[in-house]
Amino acid sequence: MAAVCAVYFIVPIKCRWAVLLAASYLFYWWNSAYLAFVLAGMTAITWLIGLWLERKNQKSAEYIKLHKEEMDASARKSYKLSVTKRKKWILFLGILLDLGVLLFFKYYNFFLENTSPLLAYLGIDPDAFKLDLLLPLGISFYTLQAIAYMVDMYRGKYKADHHFFKFALFMSFFPQIVQGPIARHNALAEQLQTGHAFDFTRLKYGCQLILWGFMKKLILADRIGILSDTVFGSYKDYGGMVLLFSVILYGLQVYGDFSGGMDIARGVSQIFGIELELNFRQPYFAKSIEEFWRRWHITLGAWMRDYIFYPLSLSKRFGALGRGARKIFGNYIGKKLPSFLAMFIVYFLVGFWHGSSWKYVAYGIWNGVIITAGILLEPVYQKGLALFRVKEKSYGWSLFQMFRTFLLCSVGRFFPRAASCTAAIVMMKQVCLSPQPWQLVDGTLLTLGLDGKDMAVLFGMVVLVLLVDIAHERGIRIRETVASQGLVCRWLVYWTAFYLIVIFGIYGPAYSSAAFIYQQF
Amino acid sequence: MEKLYKILEGIRSDIDFRNNTVKLIDDGVLDSFDIIAIIGELNEAFEVEISVEELLPENFNSPEAMMDLIHKLQEEV
Repeated sequence: MAAVCAVYFIVPIKCRWAVLLAASYLFYWWNSAYLAFVLAGMTAITWLIGLWLERKNQKSAEYIKLHKEEMDASARKSYKLSVTKRKKWILFLGILLDLGVLLFFKYYNFFLENTSPLLAYLGIDPDAFKLDLLLPLGISFYTLQAIAYMVDMYRGKYKADHHFFKFALFMSFFPQIVQGPIARHNALAEQLQTGHAFDFTRLKYGCQLILWGFMKKLILADRIGILSDTVFGSYKDYGGMVLLFSVILYGLQVYGDFSGGMDIARGVSQIFGIELELNFRQPYFAKSIEEFWRRWHITLGAWMRDYIFYPLSLSKRFGALGRGARKIFGNYIGKKLPSFLAMFIVYFLVGFWHGSSWKYVAYGIWNGVIITAGILLEPVYQKGLALFRVKEKSYGWSLFQMFRTFLLCSVGRFFPRAASCTAAIVMMKQVCLSPQPWQLVDGTLLTLGLDGKDMAVLFGMVVLVLLVDIAHERGIRIRETVASQGLVCRWLVYWTAFYLIVIFGIYGPAYSSAAFIYQQF
Repeated sequence: MEKLYKILEGIRSDIDFRNNTVKLIDDGVLDSFDIIAIIGELNEAFEVEISVEELLPENFNSPEAMMDLIHKLQEEV
């Protein structure tokens, strides 16, 4: 990283993007060797489709301009429709190719497993077709970036990137390729391509963010990881309350791991003068699951909204469905049905995107069902609030809503954490039918891989993360506040953070840290 | 404009659209469900077809921006 930084700021400003591209491909090759060709191939497909779509947009605009006098409104409309139809085919080809690669690497064996009864019935041995596939690093993230770019080109949102290698940098930028944030070309590409001069303040803020990211990852997430592995590895040995306690901690583990990784990616980018999009906005302060998903993995939510939810909800078929539903179920349900259906598809896809297993689909559906229930039962809630004279804007009610959302989110995480859907349901049953609450106080918690000292460090770190999140929620800019302190105070904070990571971080052999959870997605 | 206000108030009665000073999309006042509901109502009431390409924050950040979009689409027909 230090070498990339040094080279970046030494070479002429115009060539600095090339340093980032070389570093990105070196990083990728170092991690995935020949799978870098998959990334390069998908980059080439996306780039060519983008140029093709832009050409179509330009040609159609020129044609309309040239024949403005002869064309009436209906002729213009029918011409536009014919162009759109051709553009749809080009877009379809691009998505098919890019998505095809993702589906092949990530879901080929999953499809094979799920069609094995059918294949066996047809006299085909499914095992003969099993492939030992390595998942290209970050493919789930850069495929979505590629699709977004092609759809934006189809919609004529901005100009295509004409420089192949500069476009390749957008697809492969090393701090964000592993686990996002999922970037949009119009927000990131120019920043990457413009060389940035060295700025000490940016270096300082970037390093602060990296330190904080490592604190969350190594002190919080990886410490909880030990407990999670113990409990969920033999969940039948524990009562429901221990499972609930563990799944709540697992939620915090994912938060520390993923948001920590994002902080590191954003911090590294900031040193180069590049601002990545925010992927988390204090998600555990959400008052509903819907709001939670607007604060958690923001760029995935925004992607799903712009490229799945809106196009589906506004499609003619969904419109017709809404009109039909209004006749049968009345206005209230009829109007909401297309949005609900689109939302279910979104959550199904979000679940499926996370991994090739039904447990992830179940996790997506869990979220979809809770959001739907929340919206449909809104009138009932309102009556209940009026009956019990609850003030909606009171602090206590807000706190209750946050706690309720936190609990629902945590319980839902049984699905992704369990080995299978069945295991998740068994654990949920244990929470209700065999809680064994005494295990929370009889010393069982100290047999889960973390001793008293570890638990104390964990508790301290949770409190620290909570305080930082409260400060962010109130608009306090912590890095600026730290930077504005005197030299002694400032460096005391930096060294404390550094030593906390060294002393309390969880390390594997040769001081390596555990892989990021979202890296596997 | 009155027609638009009534539609918006029908969907989100908790927002004062007439004296609005914040950006409805950028500041997170309207969510995606609201947007879909608003578009459905606008399409019917003003006989326009708001497509997904028009779903840009600048077109929905204020009632005035929505009205501009409606006028633009009506002129195109």
